[in-house]
This record gives sequence, C-alpha cells and structure tokens, in this order.
Amino acid sequence: MARVRLPAGAFSKMDEKIENKGEQHTNAVLKKHPEAKKKFNFNYDKHYGKLFLIPVILMLFSVGYLFYFYSQTGEFIIKDVSLSGGTTITVFGNFSDTEIQSLESSLMAQYDDISFRRLTESTSGKSSTFVIESQEGSEKITASIEEILGIKLTQQNSSIEFSDSALGESFYRQLITSLFISFVLMSIVIFILFRSFVPSMAVIFAAFSDIVMPLALIDYLGIKLSAAGIAAFLMLIGYSVDTDILLTTRALKKQEGTINERIYGAFKTGIFMNVTALAAVLPAFFIVTGLPDSFRQIFFILALGLVADIINTWLTNASIIKWYCDRKGIK
Amino acid sequence: MKISWRVWVLTFVLALSLVSILNISLASNFLVGALVLSIPFTLTFSKSRTTKVIIMILTVIALILIIFFSFHKGAIITSISSDSVYFTDGLRKGMIITSVNKNTVTNVEDYIAQINLIDFQDYTKIEFQTNQGNFLVLANQTPNIVVSNVPKTNLKTGLDLGGGARAVLKPINTTLSQNDMNDLVSVTSSRLNAFGISDVSVRGVSDLEGNKFLMVEVAGMTRDDLKEVVGQQGKFEAKIGNETSFVKGEKDITFVCRGDATCAGIESLGQDSSGAYVSKFKFSVSLSQEAAQRQARITQNLTLDPTDSQSLSKKLDLYVDDKLVESLSIGVGLKGSDTTQIQISGSGKGETQQEADDDARNSMKKLQTVLITGSLPYKLEIVKLDSSSPVLGKDFTKNIIILGLVVFSIVSLFIFIRYRKIKTTLAVILTMFSEAVITLGIASLLAWNLDAPSIAGIIAGIGTGVNDQIVIIAESVSEESSTLKQRIKRAFFIIIGAFFTIFAAMIPLFWAGIGMLQGFAFTTIIGITAGILITRPAFTEIIRRIEE
Repeated sequence: MARVRLPAGAFSKMDEKIENKGEQHTNAVLKKHPEAKKKFNFNYDKHYGKLFLIPVILMLFSVGYLFYFYSQTGEFIIKDVSLSGGTTITVFGNFSDTEIQSLESSLMAQYDDISFRRLTESTSGKSSTFVIESQEGSEKITASIEEILGIKLTQQNSSIEFSDSALGESFYRQLITSLFISFVLMSIVIFILFRSFVPSMAVIFAAFSDIVMPLALIDYLGIKLSAAGIAAFLMLIGYSVDTDILLTTRALKKQEGTINERIYGAFKTGIFMNVTALAAVLPAFFIVTGLPDSFRQIFFILALGLVADIINTWLTNASIIKWYCDRKGIK
Repeated sequence: MKISWRVWVLTFVLALSLVSILNISLASNFLVGALVLSIPFTLTFSKSRTTKVIIMILTVIALILIIFFSFHKGAIITSISSDSVYFTDGLRKGMIITSVNKNTVTNVEDYIAQINLIDFQDYTKIEFQTNQGNFLVLANQTPNIVVSNVPKTNLKTGLDLGGGARAVLKPINTTLSQNDMNDLVSVTSSRLNAFGISDVSVRGVSDLEGNKFLMVEVAGMTRDDLKEVVGQQGKFEAKIGNETSFVKGEKDITFVCRGDATCAGIESLGQDSSGAYVSKFKFSVSLSQEAAQRQARITQNLTLDPTDSQSLSKKLDLYVDDKLVESLSIGVGLKGSDTTQIQISGSGKGETQQEADDDARNSMKKLQTVLITGSLPYKLEIVKLDSSSPVLGKDFTKNIIILGLVVFSIVSLFIFIRYRKIKTTLAVILTMFSEAVITLGIASLLAWNLDAPSIAGIIAGIGTGVNDQIVIIAESVSEESSTLKQRIKRAFFIIIGAFFTIFAAMIPLFWAGIGMLQGFAFTTIIGITAGILITRPAFTEIIRRIEE
C-alpha cells in the first residue's frame, strides 16, 4: 500500500499530460458517448486513488475479522462434518410437523452438537426432507432417530455419511494445501502471461482478495464450510482472474485510446462478464431448491467471489494498473 | 456458404459425443450422427435463407424424434445370482429382457407383472426373449434376478446420485506397500463376489499426505452388510472349549457347500414363543483328514450335556475375527468320530417368515464368505462409510435438469439484452450446449462416474466458457481501427490466459482428499479444454461471419 501511495504527488502533472493527449485522440467508442468521456476522464484521473481505498479498507476489515475469528475459535473457518469428522444423515418421508419437531428437540436433548435443518417443508402431506449433522458416530445417531421416529432407516428413506475425525482433519489439511498450491500455480501462470512485476502482482492481489473477502463474510454469517466449499474457493482462484487478465491485457497490450479509455472499455466488457457469471451461478443457490447442501455451497461461494471480484478487479486491480501505466508513461 | 473447418470439427465432435452419450441401437446412433453432420452440409449447399431455416428446423425435429423413439425397451438384468438355474440356462447380467412367455416387456413393471402371473408351485417352463437370444428355463422358484429399466444414456452416475454404499478403509498401525494394496484389493473383491455382489468397484487410493486407503463402492448393498463384509479381517476359528478344532484354509477345510440345495439351505421354523418368526440355515463343510482327527480327539473327552441328552457338554464355537458368531451343539453321535462331513447351522429372526428367511440367508452368506475367501494379514479400520439413497439421487437429477435450463435461459437472455442480436445469442446458446454435450460425451466415453461435484464442474465450466465468449464478442464488435484478426488474437490471449489459470487452480483437486472432489476438477478441465480446442475457435468463426 505504501508503494502505491508514495508517488501520489506526481500524479497531477501526468494527469495533465494524459488529458492533453486524450483531447487529441479520437476514439470511436468515446465518440458515441462524449459526455461519458469528459466525466470519466476527469473523475477517474483525480479520484482513482480514492477508489482504491474502498477495497483496501474492505480488505483490512476482512483480514482483521479473520484474525479476530481465529483468536476466538482457533480456526479460520467453521468446519462441517466432512472436514471435522462425524455424521450427516438426510432423511425424507411423510412426517408430520409435530413428528419432526419432537425429533429435533429429542435429538437436541441427547447430543449437544447436533445441527438440524429442514430442506423442504411438509405442507399438506407432501414429503419433507431434513438433514441432521453431528460429530458422533453414525450408529449412535441412526439408532436414536430410528427410536424416536419409530421407523428403520434404509436406503429407501435416507442417506447417511460418516467420516472419521482423523480423516476429516486430513481432508482439511489437504484441501488447504491444495488451495495454496492452486494459488501458487495461478500466480506462476499470471507471471508468465504478463512478464512484469506490478501488473502481475495486481492480478494476484485481486485474486487473493477474492478469496479473503468471501471467507470473512462466510465466517461472519456462521456458515459451516464443507470440503466441496473449499473446492469452490479453488475454482474461484481460476474463475475470478479472467476479468483481471482482460483488464491487464487491454490496458497494457492494446495500442489505441488513452489508458482511461482502455480501462473503461475493459470495464464495459468485464462487468458484463461478472454479471452474466453471477446470473449463471445464482440459480443453483436461489431458484432450484432441494439440491444437496454441499452443491449449493459451491455456487454460493462462487457468487460471493464474483461479487468480490467486481470490487477487486475494477477498484483494486484497475487502480494499480492505472498507477503503473502513469508511472511507466504508458498512455 | 463456405463452412470453416473449425465449425466442421465442432459438428463432428458434437455428433460423436451424442453417439457416445445415447444408449440406443447402432443403426439409430448412425442416423443421429449423420443428421448432426448434415447440418453444415445444409448450410453449405442450400441457397436461399428460407430453405436453410426450414431444413435446419426439420433436421432438429427429426433428431429429437429419432432419439425419442430409439431408446431400448425392456428390462435389463442388473444382477443375477450365479448359482441359480436361470444363470445356468443362459441368462446373464446386462441382457435386456423384451418378453416373458411371449408377452412383451417394455419396462420393469411389465416384467414383474409377467413373473407374478407364473405359478411356481411346480416346475414350469418360462421363455425369455432377450436382445441376445431366447432362453428357456425350467424352474420351480421365482427368478432371483434384479432388473431395472434400460438406461437412456451411457452416462454413469456416482454413488451420491445413483444410490449405493461406499466404505473407505485404512489398515490399523501399518502403512501398505503397493503389493499389500493389491492383495487387499483382490481379497476384498473376491469376498464381495463370494457374498454375491458383482456391481462393485474396489481400488486403492492415496492422498496428498501419502496415506493409502482401500475404497469400496457398491450399488446394491446395505451399509451394514458392506461394513461387515469388507471391514472384517476375515480370521476364522472353530473352537470346542479352549481347543481349536479347525481354522479356515485348505489345510483344514477342503470344501464349503454353497448355492447347492442338497447341502446348503434355509428352513422356515415359524413363530417362536415370543411371536417372532425364526429360520434356520444349514450348510455342510468338508474337513481334511487331519482336522477331522483333531476334532475326534477333542470330542472323545467330552461328556453328555446334562440338560440335553442328545448333545455333548461343550459346544462348537465359531469365531470370526475373535468374535463369537455361532455356537453349535455337537450331536452325541459325533463323540470321538473322525467324520470329515460336518454341518454348520445358525438362525435368523424377523417379523415375518420372509424376513426371518432373509436374515438367516444373509448370515449364512456372511459365514460362507469368510470361510471361502482369504483373510487379511492386518486389521482394517473403516474411516468413511456412506450410503446414498437412489430416491434422493433421482430428485437431484431432476433438479439439475431444471437448473441447466434456467441457467441457459438466463445467460441467453443477458446476451440478447446486451448485444441485441438474435444470431449472436443463438451462437452463444449453441456453444454452451456443445460444451455441455462434449463434456458429457467424454465422461461417458471414459466411463466417468458423474457425481454432484462433477455436475457442479460442468456448470462452472460452462460459466467460464460464457465469459470467454463475451470477450470474443466484445473484441469482434469493437470499432477500433486494428484489424479483426488482431483483435481476435488479443481475445485469444485473454482466453488462453484464463484457461491456464483455471487449469492450474483445479489440478490439485485430483489428489486432495482421496479424490472425493476430483469430479469437480475433471469436468471443469474437460469443459474448458473442449472450449479452447473446439468450441471457441468455431464460435469465433461464427461471430466473424456474423460481424462481416
């Protein structure tokens, strides 16, 4: 951050130079929107440093929260049973509301770490589905449920998953290692693509923020992360950098237009990419219910990441690229 | 109109993928492939626009009709007991039964209805017509065959969607060499086969931390049975008092009768005093001369049971993995006898006679399995045990199809609103559709088990594909003075960059966590690779044509 702020005083001169050049330049895109150009050029040159502050504050806040969370819980995330070990039982059938409520309260009384959720409501005799999670072994929980509901749990009415706690912990360690490897591999690809330090670091920093911000929010919301959820973060590393690559490529490799026009052009394309991608992942979370939790979680995390990516590409990365181009005299 | 070779490649791959996905007859497959390939021909040779559109619409309708009407009808045999008369007379797993006693069978319900019509009181002749010929079976019991409707596609579903049970096991206190692992896999497979399960996948898996595990996945088995059959070390010992009478292995046991009604079977005993139904299983075992003499020596010293004059004072106790599973009374006649033929029995209970019989049969199968198959040199611990309901899987598949349609519509709508061009929108739809079909085609070709993470990967792959397409469209419609070729080149720089970052990001998932999430990486990578090699070049060509 210090590096970015340091040359701030130098901007004013450069800005003048850029504006002069910009006046002479006739670019077809901006011809169409003369008023947009003036406003955009003027504001952006003057204020992009301030725009950069928004993600920096969000980032500081997120990192701060994550460390606070760590100090409180000893972990950076809340693990679900796929990562901590335990049992997940999904039961479905024609149960009355009272039956389900009594099951919930009896289980709560018997086990202190039980989590009970309903996926579909049992309205007018329609079948209902509910999910029970606990760190206990599957035999114990299964027996309790069978006793309370008075039915036998078979593959016709339930799915049962059990992981031993050592295996869960090992999954978690491996997924975190994978996340780290993914990030390093992605960074290498970015360095090979752009072959210059500041633009590459800008993309990598944006990708890092794309992970940290959703993670902080998920902790804040108290969402339990599953193994599939961590896989979604890996996906996010790959998924979120395409707009950054677009921006950096347009800014550095395109010859026409001023840097502001090129950033604006990339923004117009990129924001549409972000919005379309969001539209593609949100239905899995909101419209189509009745999907397994771990499946919905993948798309929820991708959606959060894409929102974070809008901030990080167009405020963080764009500001750094703009500053870099100004400093290097790329117009 | 001249069609670019890139579009030809796309059409060709699309045709192949469809053929690989659809489970229809060879002739229908051929027709489907030909029809898909006819589309670019139509575009090349028809002159007027109206003819083009009409022929295209007709082709698509014909395709849908052909696919719809050429699915196989009948009931496919998914499992058949190899010791049944039906097996001996030629019926095998994978055959499609199309008629029973000359009455057409189009689905499972038909099959069950037809079988229920048959009177099995006496030996009856049953005529099966299958896709692999006709079979005549003379039987006095209902076929112990499991059938299901013929699947419409060649796609394999993972356990979480198709239903089944999975166990992951780890040896206690030892690490396995590759040889140990191979032994473990073969003993476990033969054990499951001896238990009568054929649709099973047993393999060794390792993870990023170098741990080795045995993973067993079966479709038609309950979780408890799976746990018992694969979780046991499989040691067996028969003891009288504290003395070992015989253990398993050819040195002591020369033959175990199973699947032969003359020396192994179930006897229904009706209700006991508490009202529960009881059954008894019996099967004979041949001992070696040595073991028989050992048995004679031990029984020689036994006295009569004071409460039951027909039995000896001590029982023959059967231990599996040092756990007592059955305790058999020894008849008076066996005192000091060195007979090599002994009978092992046990009981089953249930709320109905059928349940009791099944329970007894299950116990018998487990005991036979232990006796027949080898034991493991170490104890295994079950670290993961999952069972998934096929019913939930069916719901999931239904929801996924809805989700696919919703995503397709929303993305298309967005593209149309942004670019206001019907042709561009159609090109995007075609590309999304192609990527989904090609990914599924490759998955079915490689017999990949599509589980929930795989499906998520397909959707995520299509999502990144749409982003790439937007980059291509944006560069194509740009009003810069640079040539279209230069701009397309720049678009491809971005696309290839994005490809490699996703590729790099997903690769570690292949090894992490015993590969439970590798489906996610697999389908994403297939999707984006198909994108960059096949659909993206074709899409660029189509967009270039539209823009010019």
